[in-house]
Amino acid sequence: MVDRNGSNQTPKTGDLDDLGERLKVARQKRETPVETADDGSLLGQAWRMSTELVVSVVVGLGLGYGIDVIFGTKPWGILFGLCLGFAAGIMTVLKTSAKMDAQNAGIPLGDDMPDDEDE
Amino acid sequence: MTSDPMQQFQIKEKAQLFEIFGQSISWTNSAFWMVVAAVLIVGFFALTTKRKLVPGKMQSLGELSYEFIANMVKDTTGAEAMKFMPFVFTLFFFILAANLIGMNPYAFTTTSHLAVTAAMAIFTICVVIVAGIWKNGFKWFKIFAPSGLPLPMYAIIIPIEIISFISRPITLAVRLFANMVAGHVMLKLFAIFAAYLAAKGGIFALGAIVPVLGTMAIVALEFLIAGLQAFVFAILTCVYLNDVYHVDH
Repeated sequence: MVDRNGSNQTPKTGDLDDLGERLKVARQKRETPVETADDGSLLGQAWRMSTELVVSVVVGLGLGYGIDVIFGTKPWGILFGLCLGFAAGIMTVLKTSAKMDAQNAGIPLGDDMPDDEDE
Repeated sequence: MTSDPMQQFQIKEKAQLFEIFGQSISWTNSAFWMVVAAVLIVGFFALTTKRKLVPGKMQSLGELSYEFIANMVKDTTGAEAMKFMPFVFTLFFFILAANLIGMNPYAFTTTSHLAVTAAMAIFTICVVIVAGIWKNGFKWFKIFAPSGLPLPMYAIIIPIEIISFISRPITLAVRLFANMVAGHVMLKLFAIFAAYLAAKGGIFALGAIVPVLGTMAIVALEFLIAGLQAFVFAILTCVYLNDVYHVDH
């Protein structure tokens, strides 16, 4: 086979075949986990994250209000509660999404993996 | 058929049983359909597990549902959490059965009541707390304080972690309840709209085809939601059970 540069080397085809093979394997690796993740649970994940975010804010607000009522620290409890609740919501959603990403890509993600060794 | 979309959620007292602390305990339509759900599940698994070596169609259905939950627990929490598999199994199938029963006309959707979903969610989180303390002792409270942070950060992180922990049972309960209520209200509204249009007659009766098609679409969606919400409840139970076994996160 004569390639663009005019050199005539038979191993080239072997390399190409090999490359093709490896590409195929790599593509399969990339495609299959996404397909398995798409088993109708995507809607469930969306539900999960949206409620987590909203409820965290509400819980923060409620706790802040409770502290206000008990200790008489009128506006500050609600204020800090709201901020903390929002932070908690964002944190939970970030954690959840990191876990989902790792699951989709088939990558074990540090602390979220079930670790059997250290117990 | 009434034209109030919220009437389907009304609890009807069938018989008063007894009183505890001035609170009357009664047999209601909700209780009845809960028992129906439980009987259906037990009946289903009693009939499908004949333990033949080569499973027939129904037996594979029973075995597949077992494996489905077993894999869910194993994949999400780990093999050591298989102790909780019966619990997750019961939750999943009770919610699934209750949701699907609710799709039948004249049946009552028990999962459309916050009291029911909250009871399950609070019980779930109590299981996590009790099992966590049982297994790890008071070290379990470290889930609120992840290690390896600069000291001042804990003043912020601990309240945040506590808030996110408290919101867990609430998300579980509210999500299921809100989904069921919203779906059934939507279904009823579309159906009522169709009935009104048909009653108007003439050109309006022709227009009734649109809400009828909408109702059909929502019925399909509701069946999806019924399974999905049971699945989400079960898998989140597994995720929360993680905290029993993996304190250092």
